[in-house]
Amino acid sequence: MQNTLLTSARTSVGKLGTGLALLLVLLMLFGATETYAQSVRAPGNAVNLDDGIEDGPSNALGDDSQSDFWRNFRGGDPNDIKQMLEARPEGAVLTTTGQHWRELRENYIRKYAGWFPLGVIALLLLYHLIKGKMRIKGGFSGKTLPRFNINQRVSHWFMASVFTILGVTGLIILLGRPLIAPYLGKEVNSVLTSASMQGHNLFGPLFIVALVWMFIKFVRGNFFQWVDLKWIFKLGGFFGGHVSSSQFNFGEKSWFWLVILVGIVMSGTGILLLFPWLVDDLRWLQLSTILHAGGAILLISVLFGHIYVGTAGMEGSIDSMLKGEVDENWAKEHHDLWYEEVTGKSATEEEGTS
Amino acid sequence: MGFVGFVEGPLFYIAAAIFALAAAWRVFGLIRMGRKPDISPPKGSATAGFIKGNLRHFLPRGMFARRTWIHIVGGYAFHLGLFVLFFFGAFHIDFIKQYLGISWTPLPRWGFILASEIAFAGLIVLWVRRFSDPVMRLISDRDDHIGTWLTFLVMLTGCLALQQSHEVLRGIHMLFVDIWLIYFPFSRLMHAFTFVLSRGHTGATYGRKGMNP
Ligand code: HEM
Repeated sequence: MQNTLLTSARTSVGKLGTGLALLLVLLMLFGATETYAQSVRAPGNAVNLDDGIEDGPSNALGDDSQSDFWRNFRGGDPNDIKQMLEARPEGAVLTTTGQHWRELRENYIRKYAGWFPLGVIALLLLYHLIKGKMRIKGGFSGKTLPRFNINQRVSHWFMASVFTILGVTGLIILLGRPLIAPYLGKEVNSVLTSASMQGHNLFGPLFIVALVWMFIKFVRGNFFQWVDLKWIFKLGGFFGGHVSSSQFNFGEKSWFWLVILVGIVMSGTGILLLFPWLVDDLRWLQLSTILHAGGAILLISVLFGHIYVGTAGMEGSIDSMLKGEVDENWAKEHHDLWYEEVTGKSATEEEGTS
Repeated sequence: MGFVGFVEGPLFYIAAAIFALAAAWRVFGLIRMGRKPDISPPKGSATAGFIKGNLRHFLPRGMFARRTWIHIVGGYAFHLGLFVLFFFGAFHIDFIKQYLGISWTPLPRWGFILASEIAFAGLIVLWVRRFSDPVMRLISDRDDHIGTWLTFLVMLTGCLALQQSHEVLRGIHMLFVDIWLIYFPFSRLMHAFTFVLSRGHTGATYGRKGMNP
């Protein structure tokens, strides 16, 4: 009897103990969960990613198709140039233009940009080897005509100096990684790129000053005329034949407007790259780097042609920019209409017969 | 001792000593030459003429201003820009403090950059005018071009080191500073000191005669 009482008492105590133990475990578990939850509680400004998302993967897309959903999610079709120009597309959460920008820059611009100026140099060399220097037919007459005043000459050489510094530093920034790093090492490239970037940033604004100055000093005489059509049909006389032209021929006029128009793009995109906080959409900056690099390669390539005609390619040309005066025979041959305008004499008739 | 240590250490001390001694030697030499004795009775003050001559030549005379405005604008832009960038650039003030122990408030970085741009624009204008104006070309010699180019390279290498990420770039800047300091006293760069004397000499001569310098 005593035994049975004892046994049942023991059982009750045991059950109670088990119950208490279970309760303790449960309490501990709850307690632990509570502390655990507290220890990783997100900061007040955090967003709970679960908010607003319905349960289950099947609802994630709503009624949209998979591709539509992702297209909107990442900001529209990045191959579409319009998308890059527009402000962030409505509903876009993330844009992937950065990846495309990087691909374009690495796989196309950096790979092929250097070939354009090199190609132009090769063509010029070839032309020079075949045709040689374009001589003044009657030789130097010894009589000169004023062509550019000192303000025009200084503004031209100011632009040429600033452009040279920007061109060299810009090419190092753009092509240092594929062209310098593999041969001279990453350290050398890093030093050159750091130096170039500082130089480029400092001289950039001076290009804008040079551009405005050049525009003001050279715009007169650079408007296109009907006579320019003849120049085009005769291929500028580079392959023989005489071409008439006024103060500037079609080639020079095109160069002038290329410098001014591409120069404006270079200045605008340059300002954005120098002061990136001016825009709040990264894609403006991506577009700027592409236009800036493209414009630079275009100007540098054509510049080689300009330098060639101004120096080794054509006898007597450089005098206009160094002395401000050109030989009368040079003027008759290359700018006959201008010669007639400033002298009142005929460019074709011999002295004394007119 | 590495390259940077050398150009900032021994070479800099040697260059600074040559600069100071040789420039002082030349200035004192000029002062010692004195003026030709003038036995005519003075009609005005030579001292006032000296000062007036110095101040008046900061401004171009009437008709010259129009004809040479590029030269005036370029000249002022370069010299004022250089003065500001050298004396008010934070790096330069730090450098001066390191050697002389004195310092003053530097310009913010944008101010320094702007002053440098103005100085560069001025120097380029002055140099391109030198070779594209027939008269300037005729009266310029090798010394003029070397002086311009050395100054330009000092400024350019300084600008290239602006990121302060590679010591070697600062070293190259210092190398050109050292070369410039050594070249200075033996060249027309000395005009930085002698202009006071030459303007003053003319001014004093005129002043003594009672004329406006
Ligand atoms: C450093 C090499 C350069 C040389 C040797 C050079 C040479 C010349 C020469 C000789 C002329 C006068 C042509 C004539 O009499 O009709 C000229 C004109 C001109 N140059 Fe240059 N130049 C150089 C760089 C540049 C640069 C970098 C630019 C602009 C980015 C430029 C833009 C112009 C313009 C706009 C004209 C006026 C012609 C026109 O209005 O069409 N040049 N150059």
